[in-house]
Amino acid sequence: MADSDGVLDDIRVLDLSQEVAGPFCTKLLAGLGAEVIKVEPPGSGDVSRRLGPFVGTVPDAEQSALFLYLNTGKQSITLDLHSPTGTAIVQRLLPACDVLVESDAPGTLERLGLGYADLARRYPGLIYVSITPFGQTGPYSHYKGSELIVQALGALMHTIGLPDREPLKVGGYAALYTTGISAFAALMLALHVRDSTGYGQHVDVSAMETITVAQIHASIQHQFGRRPGRRPSTLVRAQDGWIHPGLERGVRDDTWSRVCVMMGRPELATDPKFATPEARREHQAELIPLLEAWTSTRPKEELYHALQQLHSVAGYVATVADLFTSPQFMARNFFHELTHPSAGTALYPGAAFTMHGAAWQHARAPLLGEHNAAIYGGRLGYTPEELAQLRGIGVI
Amino acid sequence: MAHLALTGLRILDMTQVAVGPYATLLLGFMGAEVIKVESCARMDLSRGSARPRPGGEGLYPGGEPGERPWNRAGYYVHRNGNKRSLTLDVTTARGKELCLRLVALCDVLIENYRASVMERLGLGYDVVSQVNPRLIYVKISSQGATGPEKEYASLGSTLEQTAGLASITGYADGKPLMTNETYPDPVVGLLAVGAVMAGLRQRRKTGKGTCIDLAQREVTAMLLGEALVDYAYTGRVAQPLGNRHPLCVPQGVYPCQGEDMWLAIAVGSDAEWQGLCQAIGQPTLAHDPRFATFLARHQHQEALDSILTAWTQTQEHYQAMHLLQAHGVPAGAVLTGGETLVDPHLVARGFWDVVDHPEVGTYRQVTTPWHLSRSARQATQPAPALGEHNQYVLGELLGLSHAEMAALEAQGIIGTRPVGAPPP
Repeated sequence: MADSDGVLDDIRVLDLSQEVAGPFCTKLLAGLGAEVIKVEPPGSGDVSRRLGPFVGTVPDAEQSALFLYLNTGKQSITLDLHSPTGTAIVQRLLPACDVLVESDAPGTLERLGLGYADLARRYPGLIYVSITPFGQTGPYSHYKGSELIVQALGALMHTIGLPDREPLKVGGYAALYTTGISAFAALMLALHVRDSTGYGQHVDVSAMETITVAQIHASIQHQFGRRPGRRPSTLVRAQDGWIHPGLERGVRDDTWSRVCVMMGRPELATDPKFATPEARREHQAELIPLLEAWTSTRPKEELYHALQQLHSVAGYVATVADLFTSPQFMARNFFHELTHPSAGTALYPGAAFTMHGAAWQHARAPLLGEHNAAIYGGRLGYTPEELAQLRGIGVI
Repeated sequence: MAHLALTGLRILDMTQVAVGPYATLLLGFMGAEVIKVESCARMDLSRGSARPRPGGEGLYPGGEPGERPWNRAGYYVHRNGNKRSLTLDVTTARGKELCLRLVALCDVLIENYRASVMERLGLGYDVVSQVNPRLIYVKISSQGATGPEKEYASLGSTLEQTAGLASITGYADGKPLMTNETYPDPVVGLLAVGAVMAGLRQRRKTGKGTCIDLAQREVTAMLLGEALVDYAYTGRVAQPLGNRHPLCVPQGVYPCQGEDMWLAIAVGSDAEWQGLCQAIGQPTLAHDPRFATFLARHQHQEALDSILTAWTQTQEHYQAMHLLQAHGVPAGAVLTGGETLVDPHLVARGFWDVVDHPEVGTYRQVTTPWHLSRSARQATQPAPALGEHNQYVLGELLGLSHAEMAALEAQGIIGTRPVGAPPP
């Protein structure tokens, strides 16, 4: 059986969201074949177009790596939602849409007549997904959030970093990407309900709650009498970076003695300080220098493979460069080449998962307003003169 | 009327430890019937040891392993609510036969063993899809079902390294650090919920089941999307930035009153900066030439951090957060897990369930990071005791007689005590 165009090839999404979490959610929808119409403010576009990093020598709204990654497979139209003309155009787009995704502060779209309650009356099948730092209700719902703020309030940061230093965030936009994944899962659940019953609903996704779920260990430990804290790093130096030998958990009985032989230190195998996984955890500070005497002259990936062969759970700290040469990623064709008219051709990370019978859809991110003519002219039937007028008054 | 999204959906849950159990915990909240399969010889590792060492690593209520520690282990209990527990030794011919009969009654099979384990057990997709052509088989593995490293073992902490996340996490000295926990596990668990739903939608369209190959390392690498695309275009290799952000100044965490208490601040605009100066009672700072503009603040970050630290040290972290937020400044207390349990916002939103577990007592349970207006989540069902639902699954669903069940128990194929446990 030939692959279909994806499990969402009959779904149209109106994407009013910006920055990271909402766009990551709708990127996944596009990968599954949904038609995603991204609505961007005229002129500047999605804020991620300004955030960079920029792939060219000067910051260019079409060359932000963040935007280029998060918006693959979507169409872009520009529209000023804060003008009555703009909201009227949204109302004309909505009848053909199954899903609306937004990331404004709670109440913002309501004031524009685009709140869930208003739209649900007219479009009972609409799935309306709101993605915010703290959710639609509760005492912090109007607070401002950001990647750092939600990592703080979700109890993710407090245990990350070194004991004598301040708490440390997970790098990049890990929390906001994860929030996009929450939204994706929740939206797919709502779509399942709609497929069964015909009705849509309001999906309220909170970044703080996402991080609290992701940091479930913290709440477990505090209730069961442990106070987790920041700990010394257990990474071990290799010639060209860092590895983790993975000898403290999930290893076979003979793994340690075989590692000792490989290191040329067979006598360590019987040293009671290191003989069991628990002993090695307990004496980690002593163990690390012994390992480093061996690891620091060898390449990290060689150590990773050698230690995995001995049934450890070794890892190596892959840099972004290393991922592009990873034999595993290459064998699985994780990266896909895309050509963007402004940024050019490059390899992009690919599918979140593969499913028999439904190929992941790969397509580049759109230019700002690239699909204005197709959507406004082709689909809504505005004439070229009307489009010119709308552009003239700054609505598109 | 709200009702459950997944009523009528039956999931055979052959996952263990973390990533898979998170996914099925969440699916259970939404109404799916989750049948968790373990055996007395190999129970979920998160149940800990059948005979825990006194003072060992296991987390037990009150530090007491109790009579049946495998039912009381903290990590197990928190990840396995909303499930039914079946013990079934699928390495025996009879156990495998019963497992396949169950496959025929389920919509979804989800597992997170090493890539080849299910095939070795004779329960690979080829086999189970013959038994149930409408089955959605979700294969979560560390590296994916194919490729030279598919048999490699990993923990969540391993994936942070091999997927690149550790390489961009760290203080500004550039040394990578891990999260000390297993951040990739719940992330992939969340994604797996969406993947299960995608599989069901595919079945709705085609009438046929499907197999989903979900590689934890790949999903984790997607969290670095912009850094990967940047490298692909420019060859630039992303480094740790500490708590900084290129376009937010000041941004960082600042010490507050009390031991190891901190406040996170992230100022992204001149207006927020002016609000911050007002809030801390130093309005003239807003016009100080060192800090008045973004570029000036960027140049004088260290001086700015010192001024903020002098203020935060006199503040309680929650109060400082509320004060700054009242002035429009993004700020958040750096909470501990204990503080989140009583955080007024999470409590007001009904995020925590208070669970009364027969063998554990009362505890607060993490629920879902979403609220669906017409598909409520159900209240947490306490994590099941080992083999608690053998009678339901084998007796009611498969129609086995008491005599047959007794024979299975005598052969050690089912049971309620792990191998190696002291006699009751």
